[in-house]
Amino acid sequence: MDRTRLFNWLVFAAAMAAICGWLAWGKPFKITGLFLTSGLAVGSLYALGGIGMVVLYRATGVLNLASGAAGAAGAMIAWQLETWGLWPPLGWLACILVALAITLAYGRFLAPRLAWRDTVVKAVATLGYALIILGLVAFIWIDDPRALKLPTDAVGIQVMGLRVTATRLIVLAAAIAIVVGIHAFLGRTRVGLQMRALANDRDLSALVGIPILKVETIAWGIAGVIAGFTGLMFADLIRLEPVVITFMVIPSVAAAIAGRLESLALVLIGGLSMGVIESMLTLSPMLKGARPIAPFVIAAVVLLWYQRGTRLTFGGKD
Amino acid sequence: MNHRTALAALTAFAGMTLAGAAFAADPVCGAATGEAATGEPIIVGGIYGNAAPGDWTSSTDAAAAYFKCVNANGGIHGRPIDYRVENDQWNPENAAQAAAKLVSDTDSVAMVGNGSFIEMAVNAGTYKDEGIMVMASACAISECFESSNIVSTNQGPLPSNLGAAMYAREELGATNIACIGLNIPNNGIWSCQAVIDYMEANGGTGSMALLNPGAPDVNSALLEAVSSGADTILINQPAGLALAILKAAEEQDLRDAFNWIAPTPLYDLSVPDQLGEYWYGHVYVNAELAPLQVNGPDAQNWVAVMEAYGNADDPRDTFGQAGYLSARFFVDAMLGMDPADVGDRAKVADAIRGIKGMTSDLMCGPYYVGDADFHMPNHAGYMVKIVEGGFEIVRECYEYDSAYFEPMLAIEKELGLN
Amino acid sequence: MLKRLLHVTPSGAAGLAFAAFAFLVIPALAGKLWLSVFISTGCFVLAIAGVAFMYARLGMVSLTQVGLMGVGGWVMLRLNHAAGFPFEVNLVIAALVTMVCGWILALPAMRMRGLYLALVTLMAAGGLEIIFATYQFPNGGEGFWGVKTGSADAFRRPWLAQTPEAYLRYVVAFVTLGFLFIEAHRRLWPGRAWALIRRSEAAAMAAGVNVTFYKMWAFGIAGVLAGAAGGLLAGSLGLLDDATFRASESVMLFALAVVGGARYWLGAVIAATLYRILPALLNNWGVDADLAFVIFGAGLLHAVITAPNGIAGQIMDLAAGLRARFGKGGKP
Repeated sequence: MDRTRLFNWLVFAAAMAAICGWLAWGKPFKITGLFLTSGLAVGSLYALGGIGMVVLYRATGVLNLASGAAGAAGAMIAWQLETWGLWPPLGWLACILVALAITLAYGRFLAPRLAWRDTVVKAVATLGYALIILGLVAFIWIDDPRALKLPTDAVGIQVMGLRVTATRLIVLAAAIAIVVGIHAFLGRTRVGLQMRALANDRDLSALVGIPILKVETIAWGIAGVIAGFTGLMFADLIRLEPVVITFMVIPSVAAAIAGRLESLALVLIGGLSMGVIESMLTLSPMLKGARPIAPFVIAAVVLLWYQRGTRLTFGGKD
Repeated sequence: MNHRTALAALTAFAGMTLAGAAFAADPVCGAATGEAATGEPIIVGGIYGNAAPGDWTSSTDAAAAYFKCVNANGGIHGRPIDYRVENDQWNPENAAQAAAKLVSDTDSVAMVGNGSFIEMAVNAGTYKDEGIMVMASACAISECFESSNIVSTNQGPLPSNLGAAMYAREELGATNIACIGLNIPNNGIWSCQAVIDYMEANGGTGSMALLNPGAPDVNSALLEAVSSGADTILINQPAGLALAILKAAEEQDLRDAFNWIAPTPLYDLSVPDQLGEYWYGHVYVNAELAPLQVNGPDAQNWVAVMEAYGNADDPRDTFGQAGYLSARFFVDAMLGMDPADVGDRAKVADAIRGIKGMTSDLMCGPYYVGDADFHMPNHAGYMVKIVEGGFEIVRECYEYDSAYFEPMLAIEKELGLN
Repeated sequence: MLKRLLHVTPSGAAGLAFAAFAFLVIPALAGKLWLSVFISTGCFVLAIAGVAFMYARLGMVSLTQVGLMGVGGWVMLRLNHAAGFPFEVNLVIAALVTMVCGWILALPAMRMRGLYLALVTLMAAGGLEIIFATYQFPNGGEGFWGVKTGSADAFRRPWLAQTPEAYLRYVVAFVTLGFLFIEAHRRLWPGRAWALIRRSEAAAMAAGVNVTFYKMWAFGIAGVLAGAAGGLLAGSLGLLDDATFRASESVMLFALAVVGGARYWLGAVIAATLYRILPALLNNWGVDADLAFVIFGAGLLHAVITAPNGIAGQIMDLAAGLRARFGKGGKP
């Protein structure tokens, strides 16, 4: 089992390196480096979105398509508070708190009413929630050019002739730290243990007396905080447009798929490679127009790879 | 119709102070009789797009304010204008439905003030079949300028791009322009290609880097432009995307390595503040209509109309000016008609086609319509530079010099306009 | 056998009556605005029928139906501008090409179930969205993609349906055929195989049913319906825009199919009504487009939570209850 897994990892890494190498062939490093750093930032955001999704899905069985909308609402609040002259760190905090509140509200009040439905129905219901939030955000803040800046944008280091801002480093480091942190949380703490139990078998867990409500609420909370942080970073690194932030969940699903909705480390690697390949595709004259397709193609290929050799089997849940 | 935030009101306020005409004189509209029109209403339609990627309401808002003012001042030969607007929500089905409602189901005489990214592409055929004339104000796609029944007061991306490119070539020494456009054939590709053709015709070169409007990553398109070997980068994008691109450029400290130019969408009062100090004095923007500080009599009248008849939070921007102008030219044409004919769509369409040589200090050239398969009366503009708190004019009205405009110039010659 | 195939259930009779009403009465009464709304509603009824059928009969979730409509629409426009075939020929080709696309999509999906299957189809929808946004829909240009700048070339509507009224009738006729097509399948041998698969794949395999084949078949039917729906939509507007075919729209369409009630023909009609007529009504009443989104999302959530069999299920239960009360014996 472990050897197959290692083999999978190696194949994936080799394939990604080969694709990047092919795209960057013959271009000066100064140029490819630019695309690489740009892609890593986008990839980190895909990965962050995917990580929040997987943590929540494992613990509650809900694939939350509203995380982007929660992040968008948070980012707009942060921008508004900053425009009103508030001390910026309060705005960033508000961003995370708003996303947390929006996500918890769903988890606490709406998700339980759908607990007995199909997994897919639970997932699409969150899209209804996303529309409500997006509609409200778009109603309150009419379309207008806006930008959110973090002080870390001005700080940067020079890496082989290109400037990498602290924000980009932070978002990458945060993605890695969150994966490590959640891993430790699941492995070392009691709630983490309970969460893993829930992920394995919900009915049995309930029977042995795991406080499902509490554990689920914590999972929704973690997802909310990650959504808020992702929204804030997206607004700074990419752009502050609620619709774009909301629908970033779709490539995030692709990153989550790369980790089979299971392994956070794979979600991270998958997300990063999706971002990098998408960005590097700009170097290919033929493929550059359709570069945003990269996450979907990678996710589909990864899924096929996982499924290779298996047959349709009976029994088991999804 | 629209619910605006305090912020939009603030922007509008900034606009008025910039225009320096917050306490303008009484507006002058239509027949200027001062008496409310009471006759049978004349129905006029308008379609705007307000949904996810952009809000294009300011042109219909301005037209609505002007019509209200006309109705309070004698209307059209005593008949008030019943102005009905619909939102196409950037969706072709909605756009078709809006036209069905306003043109096919309603006895409207004309469409005025339209502002949209897709409506004209969907409905150009309907307008022709129904024999209605559209005096649009905020057009962004080629159909707007290349169909028989649509004429727009604004320039659209192609002339505005050419104006910016011409300025960069003549004043900034640009020889190789990279145009960052939207990957939409009748918008980005159409207007970027014109810049490349222009540069090649003048001994330079150009290239385009395209970007999917919905895709999150704008950085790649910027990097593509940067690595193309250009000396000038033309940001042919809606303001929100343009801001994101400039922000990414700031991060790489690319400001001094290129000339930065842009068409009209960046002429928006909230842009300088959002861009920040780094860019002050370094971004040149083409303005299709008179910048606010020009403030001629018609510009003051526009502000006065908005003051008296518009909502406080209607944006005071280029597209607002364009909406006002379309409405004013329409009313002037209607007032010149036989009072018995103003309710008749075919006769109104003829009167609109007959418009020639109307002028305004908001527009560099004369406005005309004429009877052709294409219409582009506005192809001269200003060049401004982004500075702290606003924009500074760096070149007054100038005609754009490109082979693209030859058919328009020929028509103008025929009409005796130049 | 034949009797079984042609047997008309009360629900079926109601459906045919509704189709007759939609065919005869609605086009005569509606103005141009509502004709245009009803035409696109009709197209989406057809597409929703495809997703709902897959979900109700096989428990398979397709989140790419609107993307497949885009494929059908693309083929339709491409053929219209490239070749002089009649509308109907183009429509059949568009439906068949889309069916093949549905199959290609189904091949990898065959090994998956439930959420994974749904996510694979969502990835396909995401990919199609990007392809449509990048290459756009044909408008009479040269080359494979057939896109040019400037105004689109004319679209030839079917000679039977030159006016919007006639086109609505045309669409209603196709939608009715689509439903009859599904119902015929359900009543013949594929329907029995599907029922077995739905109950237990193991039992189906043991009984000698080729599970993969019948699942593929279902994907093909959904593809045909989506392709025809996309082709008809292209015919109503004469051109298409990528904004109609976003991945989120596919998710929405599935959600609405569940809300409407995937097991009933009425469910598809209700779903399409919510998808196209409700927003048009809200717009007509002057509700802000953003707030319409909020109302729409809230309605969606509410219906998913309160109506497990969909709104159509509730109506059917109500009708059955009424019949039980008044139809039999007349006891108080």
